Amino acid sequence: MNIVQSPLTLIMTIKSPDDFAQLSGLLTKIQSAPPEQNPIWVALTKLKTVHFARFVFLANNTQLAVITTYDGDFDKYINDFIDTIGDVFNALLAHMQGAPPLPVQQNRDAFLAYVKQNDLRGLDPFYSAYPQASVVTILDALNQG
Amino acid sequence: MVPLDDVQGLILRSYGMDCAALFLLRVQDPAAARRTLGSLPVTAGTLWQEKPAFCVNVAFTIQGLAALGVSPASLNSFPQDFAAGAFSRCAEVGDIGPCSAENWDYGLGQPGLHALVLLFAQSPDVREAQTALLRQTLVSSGAWSEVATLPGDVLPGNVAHFGYRDGFSQPTVDCGLENPFPDKQPVAPAGEFLLGYPSQFDQFSYPVPVPDELGRNGSFMVLRILEQDCAAFDALLNQSEQRYGIEGELLAAKIMGRWRNGTPLSISPSSDSPVPPLATSDLNQYDYVPSDAIPDAFNDHRGVRCPIGAHMRRANPRGSTIAGDGGSRHRIVRRGIPYGPPYDSSKPNDGIKRGLLGLFIGVSIKDQFEFLMSEWMNGSTFAPGIYGTTDPILGNSAEGENTFVIPRDNSTPLVISHFPRLITTRGSAYTFLPSITGLRFIANLP
Repeated sequence: MNIVQSPLTLIMTIKSPDDFAQLSGLLTKIQSAPPEQNPIWVALTKLKTVHFARFVFLANNTQLAVITTYDGDFDKYINDFIDTIGDVFNALLAHMQGAPPLPVQQNRDAFLAYVKQNDLRGLDPFYSAYPQASVVTILDALNQG
Repeated sequence: MVPLDDVQGLILRSYGMDCAALFLLRVQDPAAARRTLGSLPVTAGTLWQEKPAFCVNVAFTIQGLAALGVSPASLNSFPQDFAAGAFSRCAEVGDIGPCSAENWDYGLGQPGLHALVLLFAQSPDVREAQTALLRQTLVSSGAWSEVATLPGDVLPGNVAHFGYRDGFSQPTVDCGLENPFPDKQPVAPAGEFLLGYPSQFDQFSYPVPVPDELGRNGSFMVLRILEQDCAAFDALLNQSEQRYGIEGELLAAKIMGRWRNGTPLSISPSSDSPVPPLATSDLNQYDYVPSDAIPDAFNDHRGVRCPIGAHMRRANPRGSTIAGDGGSRHRIVRRGIPYGPPYDSSKPNDGIKRGLLGLFIGVSIKDQFEFLMSEWMNGSTFAPGIYGTTDPILGNSAEGENTFVIPRDNSTPLVISHFPRLITTRGSAYTFLPSITGLRFIANLP
């Protein structure tokens, strides 16, 4: 079956305990802000290709995972993605080992390559309760489009 | 500032000429071919005091640049989409089934084309005279061989073959030229259509192919030879009332998003002749939902006036809610001219080929033309209510049939299944339009 959604399981390796401390502070600050002041929330609300997104520290705080379910082809929407949420990734990637050159806005191919290289996706099959419903379709059905 | 005198004029403006001839060429003698480039009367973007009788532009495929002696280092600096060529990008574009490259005319399904010389003329006489001169310069000299020459002619009433007036909506490019059909959409930065300037994307300019002399102020152009099935379109409209309960002319408007005379459904949903009449300059002043620029626009987020799957709403969603929020970042410049004589409905199967010689221009074939084809024309998840459908004019599907959804006020949508294929791709080419300096660079290669 054709599923319009895809999994992103981006695992980024943190440079050092100091970098973890700074990242943790940064993400706590961002995520505790009200939605309209949370740049991640604002960006994803505009982007309308991401169903769910969460950040998780893994492996004894040496890795940061960005786990999302998104619509369509990541490559195709890379420019729109960067234009909407690029600055958040600039802030995160500054603390990552093997990060692509920054800012991501000026290094688009390298950012895409980095995401592809560090995206574990998931073991197939990817389950979806509503395989044909994109974010825009769901919002429209809920009259929130 | 964009040096208009260094940019091929076709990129930035429509010439408004009634006749064209597209020369499909192969390099025969590289040194002689380079010399002819130095003598072609190529039209730049400079403003005219007086409209000339004809215009000439020239574009190259990657094989053409190689055949003319452009170095491997330079060829490798061109983007991969252009280098791959149209014939190898069918999957991205949706050229499948009868539209696939193996069925293309003029050998375009394989690498072989080197250059396109585009002649636009005010009259058939001028076209014939200039065609003869161009043939003498290019072909009789032994420099180039002629693969084919494709004539194009504006049809009476300035319409395309399905009877729609076209060409209203073009991006307004930040280059000092006015848009003949002004709109309230964001002005496109020069770097969306020319190499060497900040693009439509944040803090980003597309890499300029090297050397700078060759790449800067150039752009990319996709040729599409699109055969139109006028008999199928005619039958669709004639049977519309009986089969689908919708009047044929209204179906034509729902398919396009405009009535055939150009009046947008978003402004005038029930008549092609609103009272008071729309000025020509108003034909592009609309949006599908209220926006900052048009706050009083009718909120048509469900598509009850203009279907979300209508051709022009897919091709340019304007302020509509879409995946990626990139409605104004994937625009293309459209040039084109019909080929074949006007369709005569009393002779539906006359065997004459008709269609559009389409030219689609942008700084990135991948991010503009291909994005538009894969996501908006043939895709169905970027907007609500169109899942499993493709564009009613240009869309393609493995089955060769489409579904078209027409939302209605206070009723379930009208769903037309077994919607026929109306257009078949007969050929395509990915080409580079160098600047005037770039052309001189090629002409002077050792």
